[in-house]
Amino acid sequence: MNQAVIPKVLVTKIGFDGHDRGSRVVAAGLRDAGMEVIYTPPWQEIATVVKLATEEDVDVIGISSLATDHLIVPKLMSALREAGLADIAVIVGGIVPDEDEATLLAAGVARVFHPGSAMADIASYVRELTAAGRSRRVAA
Amino acid sequence: MNKSIDGKLLSEAEVFATWQRDYAASMGADKQVVNRSGVPIQPIYTSRDWNAGERAADLGMPGQAPFTRGIYASMHRGKTWSQRQLTGLGTPAEYNARLLEVLAQGATAVSPIPCNSVFRGYDMDESHIELLGTCGTVINTTSHMDRALQGVDLAQISCAQNDPTPFTLLAFMLATARRRGTDWKMISGTSNQSDYLSHYVANHMFFRIALPGARRILTDHIEFCNRFLPRWNPMSVVGQHTQQAGATPAESMAFTLCTAIQNARDCVARGMDPDQFLPRFTFFFDVSISFFEEIAKFRAARRIWAGIARDQLGARDPRSWRFKFHAQTSGVDLTRQQPLNNISRVTVQAMAGILGGLQSLHTDAFDEALSCPSEFGARIAIATQNVLREEAHLTDVIDPLGGSYYVETLTDQMQAEIERVMKIVEEAGGMYKAVEAGLVQGMIGESARRFQQQVDSGAQTVVGVNAYCVEEDSSARPVNTRPDRASMQSLIDEFKAFKAERSQGDVQRALDALARAAGDARDNVFGRVVEAAEAGCTHGEICHTLRREMGFGNVQAIV
Amino acid sequence: MSQGAHSGGDQTIAPALLAGDRRTIARTISQIEHGAVSAGALSAALAPHLGRAHVLGITGAPGAGKSTLLHAMLGELLARGRSIGVVAVDPSSPISGGAVLGDRVRMGEHGAHPDVFIRSLATRGHLGGLSRSTEEIVDVLDAAGFDTIIIETVGAGQSEVEIMRVADTRIVACPPGLGDSVQAIKAGILEIADVLVVTKSDLPGADATARDLKDMLHLRANPAAGAWSVPVLRSCASTGEGVAELIDRLDEHVRIAGRGQRLQARAKPAATGPAADVEPWVHALAAADPFVRSLGITCTQAGRGSATVTLRLKPQHLNFNGTCHGGVVFTLADTAFGLASNSYGKVAAGIDAHITYQQAARAGDCLQAHAMEVSRSRKLAVYRVDVSRADGAVVSSFTGTVYITGIDVAVPAGAAVSGDDVGRGAG
Repeated sequence: MNQAVIPKVLVTKIGFDGHDRGSRVVAAGLRDAGMEVIYTPPWQEIATVVKLATEEDVDVIGISSLATDHLIVPKLMSALREAGLADIAVIVGGIVPDEDEATLLAAGVARVFHPGSAMADIASYVRELTAAGRSRRVAA
Repeated sequence: MNKSIDGKLLSEAEVFATWQRDYAASMGADKQVVNRSGVPIQPIYTSRDWNAGERAADLGMPGQAPFTRGIYASMHRGKTWSQRQLTGLGTPAEYNARLLEVLAQGATAVSPIPCNSVFRGYDMDESHIELLGTCGTVINTTSHMDRALQGVDLAQISCAQNDPTPFTLLAFMLATARRRGTDWKMISGTSNQSDYLSHYVANHMFFRIALPGARRILTDHIEFCNRFLPRWNPMSVVGQHTQQAGATPAESMAFTLCTAIQNARDCVARGMDPDQFLPRFTFFFDVSISFFEEIAKFRAARRIWAGIARDQLGARDPRSWRFKFHAQTSGVDLTRQQPLNNISRVTVQAMAGILGGLQSLHTDAFDEALSCPSEFGARIAIATQNVLREEAHLTDVIDPLGGSYYVETLTDQMQAEIERVMKIVEEAGGMYKAVEAGLVQGMIGESARRFQQQVDSGAQTVVGVNAYCVEEDSSARPVNTRPDRASMQSLIDEFKAFKAERSQGDVQRALDALARAAGDARDNVFGRVVEAAEAGCTHGEICHTLRREMGFGNVQAIV
Repeated sequence: MSQGAHSGGDQTIAPALLAGDRRTIARTISQIEHGAVSAGALSAALAPHLGRAHVLGITGAPGAGKSTLLHAMLGELLARGRSIGVVAVDPSSPISGGAVLGDRVRMGEHGAHPDVFIRSLATRGHLGGLSRSTEEIVDVLDAAGFDTIIIETVGAGQSEVEIMRVADTRIVACPPGLGDSVQAIKAGILEIADVLVVTKSDLPGADATARDLKDMLHLRANPAAGAWSVPVLRSCASTGEGVAELIDRLDEHVRIAGRGQRLQARAKPAATGPAADVEPWVHALAAADPFVRSLGITCTQAGRGSATVTLRLKPQHLNFNGTCHGGVVFTLADTAFGLASNSYGKVAAGIDAHITYQQAARAGDCLQAHAMEVSRSRKLAVYRVDVSRADGAVVSSFTGTVYITGIDVAVPAGAAVSGDDVGRGAG
């Protein structure tokens, strides 16, 4: 049966910042690009994000970070690995200084999207990650 | 009468018609120009649009109702606007060092920004250490506040607190004043972020306690401050958050005025006299780069508020009719690309606020869009204000744009648009009901989407983002200072030691009294918060107690 | 990683799934959603492990307070030591095909409890209030050992016929004070519900709404002796009032009605050929049929040799006596007949049909026609169709015979067809 690949994406925020305008815009944008988005309010605990990603078996996790909340993303990456979810791709969107971007990539984040990134670029990268992830699964 | 080039005398109508022809000829197709609030903008304004002969009389003079030209007779020429820069980083000691520098550079008022952990209602030993002190100062106890404000005479220097319900940081400051023997009656400043509705709608990080509880605590707070802190402004009605979330300037002003009406009605229902609390109502706005629109917005607001205070709320004292406001240059206009361009943007925004007649100003640092601002950026931000005041002499003339055909016409039009939106909210039952129903949030979302479409399509240029882009040189970006991990760890260790050594009995009694007050409408919750601060309770303990009793401030997740 | 994930092959069940390992459960569900396993084959392999869970369906109009009620129910169930699997269905955008799945966040802190497992699904254009894979996903959760499985659907009670088939106990949430709208939704609610809950019972109008619902229940045909009598309960999720009583009633219902009802309702597996999923393109046939569309008939189920269609009767379907026109009943039965007989991919031409009319139907009734294959040879096939009302009464019986041609069914553009099924017929 032919099934169009519909990416399943978690859009969430960890840490303290409450500005959710950006993450809401991205969630709506991904929906309009034909994807299924689990959207959460801000202030999710890392353990909750791991549980959510486990149960929903998402293809990609999108973390929106405006203040300095990206500084605990490496903790999230470890938690995902410990839960056996290392194959779920993580992208970070928001305000991330250059020196911290290198740290995030080294921790396993696939890409950092800065303010002003085009919605179309985010959507197509999510599709790329989804396709790669799913073909890895079938091969496994 | 005018003379044309060949010497004939022309009538005013002929002169205007000539201009129209010349304009059409050189323009070809005319552009449709509309400002952010949707008001159409003409190529030129003349006495046909605003006739001084007819209108100047009701324009009035500064210091007199309806205050269109300014709330005081002398405005900035007499007393310049306060330079109130929001600063905050790291531990209380680190903040204090920066504060004293900033005061030395010319800031005239204090406004500490607490750490995000504090905004969320948590103590430092409940938070990830990586996130402590990165964007604001960690203050969890009275002693921390005392250390943060060391060397600042609270009786002399105005010190605002940026802290939402239940205003623990002000409680710590009052406890500090009592320790130092400073008379509370001398303390001046503002409870910035006392506007819970704006938080629920548009700045969720500040929303700690569920709506009904937040509403009750605000009224308690106003009552307490009116009695014990005669120079303190407990009410700061916030327009900044809604405008930053995407509301047009007119919408944001309308929502703010409706919120003020809502809060005033709650105070009246409590038995307070409008002339008692209105003089201590202040406002806090975003100033965007839409220069003339912002000036007109503020001028119209003064006029509208004077009418509301007198006619709707029944205030008789002219001091109650004055629209006092603090403005902050708008961070959403700033870009990450070519960040130094933000200095120009902030300059234009600051000018708009000043010419709009603000009472105090915060200018953003150019790197606000990159991360929490650096010292370097903060210094330039203050210097910008000094340049505008002392080199451009913007304080010399009160309301210099008054009488301008354009600005007066635009003021009328912005007034009409603001009142149109206010009517929608009032018809929904007032701001509290409109917010509960999600009506306000929907309108903001619409405007945000519309603006984003304009940027995406290129109709609205943003230099460096959708036009005039360059290959970035990232070495031009300042490096972020992070708080020193070792000193933060020491602070946490000291904090734990403090908690172990204080009187557990005093703490428990104070928290129990606080919990009881939450359920007793006759008690004053903020008064109990102050007692708890004095008994050695921590910020987190106070917030957790009230969240438990009154409900956690959950926000709607609407996509 | 779970084993045996290829369509057409034998389905093996990982022990980790039966042990309730969360990652395995989630990945198995994904395989169903991605079409990497044949859902029918998986359900067949899970069969020995099914029937233990109590399956609840919750439906109700937007704003009825379903999510808040569900949150309160989770708290009560957890307090009673139950483990719960939740399937939260949200509608896909008809324009983009995407969806924002926001239900689980409204379930609050219970979503973080280790004994709660929540999976969000989008309808993906599927009618009937559920997603196409919902039933199989419920099977996975059942086999994984959850005590209670809750399906939260979209919608207003009009098109939730599917929940009738999948859930053991069907709860409909009604907000108070609807006034005239109560009339509009009553038809759907009363046919579906085993339990009616008036939510937000602290608001004015809750009493009146509860009364109205009770009145309408009395006006319907009396239930058979010993059958379940639908209660109208009240709940106030913010105070917790009524939630314990609701759970008690649900437990009572399942004692009477039994668990795993969806398993009994399943058609016999096809004796020949792989049990492939023919559904989407058969739906497409129904959607492309101008006459079917004009009447408002919808196809809610289609398999190899079977089909179910439904129609809510409106004034224009009635005769001069005010009851359903016989031609409408015939059309409904004939439509199911046509879809079932054409589901093998070859054009099946009807050559003979008989109908008997047993009971009347009226405006507002929801009729369902279910076609089953009686026999099929190379050239001829016979089908029986039962047309029933929502309360179970059989309105009409229909029998039809088709001649099976060699011509392929012209599948409407955009409908994906199972490549190895079309043209092979019974082979």
